[in-house]
Formats: sequence, C-alpha cells, structure tokens
Amino acid sequence: MRKDNLTYEDVLRIVELVKTTRFSEFRLKVGEIEVHLKRKNGAGGDPVVLHGQPASPGEAAAPARPTAERSFPAGAVLVRSPMVGTFYRAPAPGAEPFVEVGKHVDADSTVCIIEVMKLMNSIAAETRGVVTEILVPNGARVEPGDVLVVIEPDPEDG
Amino acid sequence: MKTAAGSKRFDFVDVTLRDAHQCLWSTRMTTAMMTPILGAIDRAGYAYINILGGAVFDVCVRYLHENPWERVRLLCERLETPCDALTRGQSLYTFELFPDDIVELNSEVFAKLGVKVLTVYDALNDNRNVASSVRSGHAAGLKVNAMMTYTLSPVHTDAYYVARTKELVKLKADFIAIKDPTGLLTPERGRTLFPAVLKAAGGVPLKLHSHCQSGLAPEVYEIAIRSGFRYGYTASRPLANGASLPATEDIGARARKLGLRTSLDAAALREIAGYFTCVAEREGKPLGEVARYDAALYEHQIPGGMISNLRSQLQAMSMEHRLPEILEEAPRVRKDLGYPIVVSPFAQYIVTQATLNVVQGERYKTIPDEIRKYAMGYYGRLAAQPSDEFLERAAIRPADLVTERPGEHIKPWIPRLRKQLGPSVPDEDLLLAAFYPKPLLEPLKKRAPEYEFRTTPLNELIRFIGSRGDIEYARVRFAGTDMTFAA
Repeated sequence: MRKDNLTYEDVLRIVELVKTTRFSEFRLKVGEIEVHLKRKNGAGGDPVVLHGQPASPGEAAAPARPTAERSFPAGAVLVRSPMVGTFYRAPAPGAEPFVEVGKHVDADSTVCIIEVMKLMNSIAAETRGVVTEILVPNGARVEPGDVLVVIEPDPEDG
Repeated sequence: MKTAAGSKRFDFVDVTLRDAHQCLWSTRMTTAMMTPILGAIDRAGYAYINILGGAVFDVCVRYLHENPWERVRLLCERLETPCDALTRGQSLYTFELFPDDIVELNSEVFAKLGVKVLTVYDALNDNRNVASSVRSGHAAGLKVNAMMTYTLSPVHTDAYYVARTKELVKLKADFIAIKDPTGLLTPERGRTLFPAVLKAAGGVPLKLHSHCQSGLAPEVYEIAIRSGFRYGYTASRPLANGASLPATEDIGARARKLGLRTSLDAAALREIAGYFTCVAEREGKPLGEVARYDAALYEHQIPGGMISNLRSQLQAMSMEHRLPEILEEAPRVRKDLGYPIVVSPFAQYIVTQATLNVVQGERYKTIPDEIRKYAMGYYGRLAAQPSDEFLERAAIRPADLVTERPGEHIKPWIPRLRKQLGPSVPDEDLLLAAFYPKPLLEPLKKRAPEYEFRTTPLNELIRFIGSRGDIEYARVRFAGTDMTFAA
C-alpha cells in the first residue's frame, strides 16, 4: 500500500534512531520515505548531544566576582552577601541608592538589597560607621560571602 | 446549554500552552513553538484554552523577551476556541499587590485583546483579593472563573472550602474551580470535598485543575466527573503528567467510560501530541512522565514548577546536593508561617526561607522583606497564626498587623503613570510600565519573528535534523519531495 503521508509517528521513530544509534552514515527507507544522513567527523562513537540549550536561571544577570582575593584595611567591617542573588543599591529602579560612599550608617540601616528568586532581602549595615567602599555594581550577580560594602566603624563611645 | 440527565457532558480546558510548559519546561515555550499547531488545537474540541498565567507573563518579559500582550492578541486572533487568561488577583502577574485601577485596566485589556474568560485566584484564598477582578472582569464583558487553591493543613478542611465557595457564589463567579497546584488531592478526599463544594456552588459550573506529582490525578478527575464537575484542565500527552496536569487523551477516555459525552477529536489530539514531542526533541526539553506515588510530596508540598526551578537555581550555586535538606525544612517553615498554601508567591517564600535556613545554617537569620509583610497580613488573611519563634525573629509586633482589604492600602497608579508616559500611551504599555522597570521592557521592542502557522510531520523532521550540530549532510525523499541539506 502506498503511503502518501509522513506521520508524526514516523518522524519520532527516525528521531529516536538518530538519537540512539552511533552512526557516521544513516540511511532509512520505509515505504516511500527515504532518509539519508551523514554525521560530522564520520567517527561515530561520540554520544549524541542535542543542539537545544537547556534554560538556565540568571540568564539576564551579569557575572561579577569583584572581591575574590583582596585585602581590606584593619578594623573595616565587611558587609557580605548571605546568598546567591542579584545586588541592588536602591529600593526601586531610578530611586535614590540606600547609601553612597562617605555616608554614615547605623546598625539597622539598609545598605542594599539582594534579590533571590524574585524576593527582596534588605541587607543591614550591622555596624555604626561610615561607608568607605561599595564593591559591586548595581544589578550584578553575587555569591555567598562576596563583600558588598565596606564600613569604617565609629570609634567606641567613651 | 443545560443538558438533560443521560446526555451529560464533560468538557476540557487546555493547559498545554500555559501550565504544562510552566511545570515541565520552566515556562520556556515561545510563541513560535505554539503557532504552527494552533489549527490542530482549535480542532481538538476544547471548551477553553488557557493561554496566560503569572509565570508565562513574567517569563515572556524577563527571559523570552516577548511582549506578552502580543502573544495574547495573536493567540486570541488565531484560535476560535475561547481563550482563558489567568491572573493572581490583586497581584496580577507578579508578587506584589496592585491598586484596583490597575486590576481593572488589566481586565479591560484582556477583553480588548480577545480573551473570553478571566481566571483568577488568590494564593491566600482571601477572596477580598479576587473581588476587584470579578467586578472589573464582568464590567469588561468577560466570564470569570474563580479558583480556590487546595492544600493540606489542619485548617484547610472541607468546611473551609465550602465557606470559600459560598463567598465566590456571592461574588457572582461564572465558574468555580478547585486548583490543586501540587497534586495533593486524593480520591478519598475528593469523595467528601467535591460533593460539598458542588452543593455550596448552587449550580455554578465547577472545574478541576489538579497536577500529577502524586500520580493520583487521573483517579481524582474521575471522582470529580462522578461528582458532577463540568470541566477538567488537561494537557497534550507529551506535556502532561509529572509535575504537569493529566493528559487530555486519558481523562477523555475516562469520561467516556463513565458514560459522558466529550467533544474531543482523537486525530487532532494525536497531531498535537506528535508535534510537541518533536518540539521537545528539537529543543532538548523533557517530556512528562507519569509520577510514581511519593509520600514525601504530602510533607513538602512543593509545586512542580518550583522544584524544577529550585533545582536549576541550586545547580547554578553548585548546591544541588542540599535539595533533600531544603525539602525537609520546607514543611517546618510552612508551619511557622501559619500554613500558607504552597503556590506562587508563597511557595517561593517557603522555598526561599527554607533554602536560607539550610544554607546559612541558622533558622531565620535572614528573613526576606516580603515574608515579613506576608506575616503582618499585608497580602491578606493568613490561614493560621505564625509561630512565636518566627514572629520574634521577624520582630513583628501586634501593632504592625494589617486587617483591611489589601487593595485598600494602595492608592491608584493610573493618574501618575499617564502623567509620566503621556496621555496617548496604549493601555498595554501602561500596564507593562506598572509591572516592570523600564530596562526590562527595552528588549520587548524588538520585532517579533515571522511566525509559521502550519506545519507537517515532514517539516518537523527537517527542523529536527537542522537543529543538530552533528549532521553535515541530510537527504530526505518522500512522496515526490527530494531535499538535500549540507552543513
């Protein structure tokens, strides 16, 4: 019987063969259908890798590991990222940054936000003092332990 | 149309273009993957086609760089079957609350783009948060399908759902749906819950939307059909099961076995399934597999979409091995938070807090701001009181608690946005500006690709071969066609 319609079942069978066999050359003839394929390098052997890229998180985030191996002044307090996320300096796009270099902060002052899975985490200074450095660009991806902000603590009272 | 006894019908709402790929493909189905098969979807006999939800909208903007309104417009134009679009009520597509005027404008935009049914739910089941959607949906000429979210907890009893159903009847919802985002419903629970809700619904047609993580969903659908539910949400077979919903093919067969009529077209369903299997192969996306019963699911209750996202998040942090600990911490966090339902956005709260608790090695060292706001009642009524440990670590005092309707504490935004964007700004753009900062909207301005509106198996075979980097020569001969490709 003459087959005049290639079905999805036929296609999926061919797809399966392409995926599971290690061929350098592939010929298939089923009824009216003929498929002839040649694989690069001809060697076969290599496991078949699909061309499609799996989706990965953080596609839009810029990589930034700015503080990996550097030293800081003695006595400086380092505000570190508690988690993987995206660093934001302001409560909303276009809003005033929480802090600038030279600004005085209290222990409960928010210095930045880290966004994790779309949730905003306010990061507090946890020290009274003056901001001396902001090490991460706005919108950068940060990892746990990355230094975000450096604070020079106020001298102890008395 | 009312049907007489003996000629009862059971009808289907397709989720292939929405929840199915949300659960199995991290919401990454593009418009270009949908358009070639729309003709078959239209012929398949669905009553409604669900095309939009919170995650789809958000992923369109953030990752696919597609204008979600253009997708909605195109699908509504191309599909004759009425389209259904879902929102998270007062939160619409995001995790924040919006003022009533934005919710109203969203309903108007739906109507203008051709959406016929607005499906709405509130993740706290606080129906004060769906009221503005029901009212504005009706005003815009939409049917409104209000969903209640099912969950397991000591406070989410049958009586609890009967009370919510009565609220939705009073709000004049056109349909009421039970939404089971983590596949927790069992046939046993269905036997008591479904008749109770049916009675309370007083003739408002019921829909069931249950995921397949436990493997029990097809049985649960059968109980719903027997109990008198009118509609079931289902997906094309390759995108069904697993964390997704049951296969249309399977539930159709069950309904017919129970003596109900369906409008399903088996040939069209086969074509859709074949097409999406080819797309999955070409794009390297997984196919839905029937889940085996997993008792742990009833403990952590994390929805499928969350687990696949969490796994890729943890992979990116090289911490995939902590997943079991996080899934163990999740139910403790949930109890501490007063049994929020494990759906977006609260699923994210639980998972994020559990992740922080595990990764930081100290419980509640960091508490995301939204979780603190949730516990204060800012998003709506909590199902139960949060634990003392949590309240203390979050430093929430009784004076901080919010009791008014969440929409009340947000002033209208439209006057400000119109002033900012100019009086001639289209409503669609105004809404996007309300939801997203400007830089995120820039990529949406790029021209949409030329979409294909038809395809054949041969065409999909060629696209598959073309997608493979390892094939340097291909010749396909078939029915008078002879094609050769060379790399």
